[in-house]
Amino acid sequence: MAMSRAIKAQRYNQGQKLEISLFPFLSIFLCVMGVLSFINVLSSFSTPQKIELTAKLEHGYKVAYQIFSLPDGMISLPPVTHLQKLKEAVDNTDKKTIEEIIQRRKKAIRTLEQQPGSAMDIASSADIIDIVQITHDIRVLNELALKANHLYEEFLLFGIYPNGGQVYQKIRDVMTLLQDARSISIGLEPLDPNWTLNIKKSVQR
Amino acid sequence: MNNLISLDSLTDIVSNSVGILIIFAVINLIHDDSKTYQLEIPIEHATELKPIFFIAKGDRILPINMTKIFESTTVQITQGMSENKRIFPLDYFGLYGQVDSKENSGISFHVHDISQWSKTQALEKNTSALHKSITHIDPKTQFAYFFVYDSDDETASNGFEAFRQARKYLKKYHIKTGWQPVSAENPMIICDEAFNESCTYLPAYLGKDTP
Repeated sequence: MAMSRAIKAQRYNQGQKLEISLFPFLSIFLCVMGVLSFINVLSSFSTPQKIELTAKLEHGYKVAYQIFSLPDGMISLPPVTHLQKLKEAVDNTDKKTIEEIIQRRKKAIRTLEQQPGSAMDIASSADIIDIVQITHDIRVLNELALKANHLYEEFLLFGIYPNGGQVYQKIRDVMTLLQDARSISIGLEPLDPNWTLNIKKSVQR
Repeated sequence: MNNLISLDSLTDIVSNSVGILIIFAVINLIHDDSKTYQLEIPIEHATELKPIFFIAKGDRILPINMTKIFESTTVQITQGMSENKRIFPLDYFGLYGQVDSKENSGISFHVHDISQWSKTQALEKNTSALHKSITHIDPKTQFAYFFVYDSDDETASNGFEAFRQARKYLKKYHIKTGWQPVSAENPMIICDEAFNESCTYLPAYLGKDTP
């Protein structure tokens, strides 16, 4: 012990500066930097991309009623925002009809938003009653817009996820039997499993 | 020890870079969470154009020669092979057919083997059968209609990406496309609209592509 103190003292006495090698710190920093870069690149590939179905170039006044077809069922995202303008444009008697549709859609959206879990876990079975109601509402709104000479037309956009084709076919089969559905324009697109929904953003439209 | 190079500035740069990366990662996460990509969806339109059928499964595409299919089906029906909704071979690239004569529901197709089908890379090859079948489509009188397998099975994955590639390629030739998802449980059916209203095959295109 005394020997080691003597050696240390001798070293300081020689006027040498104590310098610490920075290589361990540097290597840690570089490792952290590398890991962070890797995570960044990885997250940009693997993070689910939130999507919204639109057809904005379709004459500019058509509004999408989005239906996502999943293996477990469907998620329907009705448009609400543009209905207020339509409501202002129609007669008093038709205002009530539109208000009923708005309330019904808002209720459906609230139910969706209150569901726990991610957006992809809230699919409900494609009930015939729901499909009939959706197509009826769209037809009523389109007819009221036409009657009021207001530029507004709703149409159905289907996003088909892998294994979601069966639900889509069920909806289309029901629609072929419905008089209400004949005049409704339809669009469909295959979706990748890592494309998820942004319900809040979609319902704001 | 005196000869050690001062690494202060280098440490400074590296630690700053780490800090910037952390900030960048956080911003990226926040940004990604709120960013929504808008997918513009083609809309189906009524048309006078005649559909030319294709099947997309995995990374492969099969053009359907309806003349050959009808010939094979007629032979099989004549020989009584299609009775009781029995599945019969069509001798056409691993395709099998099924006919329900009572319901007038057309021909259902079942895929058993896709190994002979062209891969999507063949689209770009001028000598490939797939390329030739596509270039034979007259955009003024015809459009391409795809039956796209939507589920993964033991033979192949879904045909979504193959369909997207084919659609993009066909657009170069101003050929319109339409599609519907199919699967083993929900097979593709080709039938006549005059007998069944669900037998409608429509092209879908964007507003800007409207003729």
